[in-house]
Amino acid sequence: MAKAFKYGLKGISGYLEPAERDLLRGLLDDVISMLEQDVRENEDPLAALIGLDMDVKQPTDRALLRLLPNVMKDDDGGSLEFRQLTERSVRENKIGALKAAAMGLDKDDLVLTPEDATRWSMALNDVRLVLAERLDIRDEADAEHIHSMQDWSQAEDVESYLALVYNFTTWLQESLVQAMLDARQAKS
Amino acid sequence: MSPSVAFGTDIDERTKAAEQSSTDVLTAPDVPWNLVIWNDPVNLMSYVSYVFQSYFGYSESKAHKLMMEVHKKGRSIVAHGSKEQVEQHAVAMHGFGLWATVEKAASGNETPGKGGRQRG
Repeated sequence: MAKAFKYGLKGISGYLEPAERDLLRGLLDDVISMLEQDVRENEDPLAALIGLDMDVKQPTDRALLRLLPNVMKDDDGGSLEFRQLTERSVRENKIGALKAAAMGLDKDDLVLTPEDATRWSMALNDVRLVLAERLDIRDEADAEHIHSMQDWSQAEDVESYLALVYNFTTWLQESLVQAMLDARQAKS
Repeated sequence: MSPSVAFGTDIDERTKAAEQSSTDVLTAPDVPWNLVIWNDPVNLMSYVSYVFQSYFGYSESKAHKLMMEVHKKGRSIVAHGSKEQVEQHAVAMHGFGLWATVEKAASGNETPGKGGRQRG
């Protein structure tokens, strides 16, 4: 069984079984491949270098749109312009955090530096945002319903399995964030 | 100074830059744009509060108050400043997975939390 992250003398540490690591690695890889873009042949290399993407469009996949939301509520033109200037760097930051967490899973000990912890919390958050879209969690009642599924013997179909996976990542992120808050408190 | 949104090797530096910038934001004489955080059923309350503390340098109580406002009212203005400043904050918030938008501030309405000019 996984052990919750906690803050102690060594910093922030946790424990995951090999099967739990494999599960988490798979989830991280899924989100990485959602965020990675194909290299376009006729792209302006200078624009790419400075992070511009003039061909960007609002994502059609709801989960991807949740990771890369519009920056203005009622201004599609303004939101698109913002995407052209920033979306590439947001994608790259997210991929960086997801990859850092995936690499951390390859180590025997889960001992996180403050920087690791920040990246892990961001990565787990993105995994949960994607799972929540797949599970159609729209409001607090949906969230509560999913949260009530805690028994792995209930995992009879894809949805109930996803719900249990979602609850596992929620538990893991919550314990990590609590440890990060404890670390903050200890410093001040 | 503008906060780097890229992952530097030193997160502390990034946090310092963000704090510097948020000080600038809160003392700017004209405050034409707001950064708004929206409620969603996924983001953990502890995580949202952590992001407000670590990125904006807000005190625990101020971060908690803003987080509760997001949770109960559906949205909260957590910073304001020039369009460029709030857009940079929005990039950072999207990096953290928070649902952030920017909007033109209507004159004389909400400020970011009570005692918005104090920083803990």
